[in-house]
Amino acid sequence: MLLELTGLSKRFGPVEVLSDVDLSIDAGEVCALVGDNGAGKSTLVKCVAGIHGIDGGTISVNDEVRTISDPRDAAALGIEVVYQDLALCDNLDVVENLFLGREKRRGLVLDDDAMEQLAAETLKSLAVRTIRNLRQPVASLSGGQRQTVAIAKAVLWNSQLVILDEPTAALGVAQTRQVLELIRRLADQGLAVLYISHNLNDVFAVADRIAALYLGRMAAVIDAADATQSQVVELITSGRSGTSGLIDTNGTNGARQ
Amino acid sequence: MARPGTEELRRRNRAALLEQLHRHGPQTRAELTEALGLNRSTIATIAADLAESGHIQETTGRSTGSAGRPSTLVACVPKAESVAAVEIRADRVRFALYGLGGEVLERAETPLLTGVEASAAAAAAAALVEGAGAEAVAAVPGLVDAGEVAHSTELGWAGSDVAADLADATGREWLVVDTATAAAVGEWTRGDAFEATKLLYLHGGRGVTAGLVVEGRSQRGGSIQLGHIVVEPNGQECACGLRGCLEAEMEAFGYAEDIERATMAAGMGDASAKDGLRRSGQDLGRALGAVVTATGPDEILFGGWLRELYLSAAAPVRSALAETTLPHLRSRLRLRTPVLGQEGPLIGAAETGFAALFDRMR
Repeated sequence: MLLELTGLSKRFGPVEVLSDVDLSIDAGEVCALVGDNGAGKSTLVKCVAGIHGIDGGTISVNDEVRTISDPRDAAALGIEVVYQDLALCDNLDVVENLFLGREKRRGLVLDDDAMEQLAAETLKSLAVRTIRNLRQPVASLSGGQRQTVAIAKAVLWNSQLVILDEPTAALGVAQTRQVLELIRRLADQGLAVLYISHNLNDVFAVADRIAALYLGRMAAVIDAADATQSQVVELITSGRSGTSGLIDTNGTNGARQ
Repeated sequence: MARPGTEELRRRNRAALLEQLHRHGPQTRAELTEALGLNRSTIATIAADLAESGHIQETTGRSTGSAGRPSTLVACVPKAESVAAVEIRADRVRFALYGLGGEVLERAETPLLTGVEASAAAAAAAALVEGAGAEAVAAVPGLVDAGEVAHSTELGWAGSDVAADLADATGREWLVVDTATAAAVGEWTRGDAFEATKLLYLHGGRGVTAGLVVEGRSQRGGSIQLGHIVVEPNGQECACGLRGCLEAEMEAFGYAEDIERATMAAGMGDASAKDGLRRSGQDLGRALGAVVTATGPDEILFGGWLRELYLSAAAPVRSALAETTLPHLRSRLRLRTPVLGQEGPLIGAAETGFAALFDRMR
């Protein structure tokens, strides 16, 4: 398993935001993380990305237990996150954004040619045809193009796991489709993808497995091939569906009573 | 068992080497030796032979990054062999001439009046193609078997011997495949779908068809009339005479623009648009469920406007598929969108021609 979370817990003071969460993601698959507002999706991402420390459980990468205490640790392990706000610099061009903070140098000066070539190769490998000019400032790009740049930036660093937080939330219909195809392509090229979304159509379009969080607990992780829309909706809204899901869903953790 | 003669062996090896270069692009002799499992001296002999006949050329190659002389690359010469590919649509005929290695040498298209007979479409195709290409292949949307178009919603043809019409118009032999099968061959050979043993391509034009290819090759019986699978007994009347066909049930979603509009409306909260998308997705999923159960593909590509429908209504499509297929059939099934877009059918038609060409060389 590329990433394996076992018994992950996170508390903010007296509030238990994540309790005893298990989740594993393999290379080459898209795992969708769904859940209502406040279910703990973003917290889970921030724990894996090294923004929050964890209060219990373990995080293993490539079957080795790791301590991820800041985003640099996560990056060193090949974990990249694309946040909702994309964190791109409007005044810089596409290449500069892709290499921001990790510029390639030749002696004392920046190696612009090498960076531009690598950027072009990365975009080509992702079959991105929407960005023609790599020296265009990011301010002039559309929402879909920005999202593409942000995703390409995450892929550029020999990353193994890419986490996408609501990448299609602000996009139009045609751009959403392109980003969905891009997400699928990332996994088909051997990356692991953790994909967070509220839109069930988008989830079903790309996911291999669907993990549903309910009030900080993992309600169920099911194969997308076996899932139906109503089943996933039930898991999101009540934490259970048929025989799968949490046994007791009144918001307390049954095991600890 | 009789061993093949030397001459026959050489012919086979020639074809294998040329096919390798055609499919995978320029390579060094060392790479060819490994890929074909032949020894170095055999490769050298065949390469000299093919260079003589003008099929390949050796170029000063890429540097490997290490010290020493860069190895030479063997590449095929595009113009040495070519295949003429034609795609017939409701409103036009598209033509492209492909050279070895998949390079486009020529391209043209001509408009077609809606509702013309097969013979008129054949004449239009003949004018575009003339004598070009060693093989000629036509892609026609519909149910195609052995050169005959048994049924085509898009063109309104039934029982048309298109291969014969094309042969009459041009005075040469034609291969006829259905558009979906051609696109499947294209996506397997030049797209991303090469890992699929059984690849099912769904084509959404003015009608919905599907094509199944095995190991990238079209098979007799691989042309599937997906649009005429009944999803709603006693449902809408269909032009084919049945009731409740997938095509008839999805009537409002004939074209990509409609889906664009419906998705946008659904996103803004239009209940009827939402319901329409959901029902279309569900119907498509059910019809697919029947096809998957019957044929057991390991990858499905949603082509034409079905790409838009799938990406906008994946939840109902996959839910219906999960409810109508056996677990072991759906667990290894990949659902994807094509990468070649509308070039897929033409590229695939050409690759079908190249496959026939290499078979003839053996």
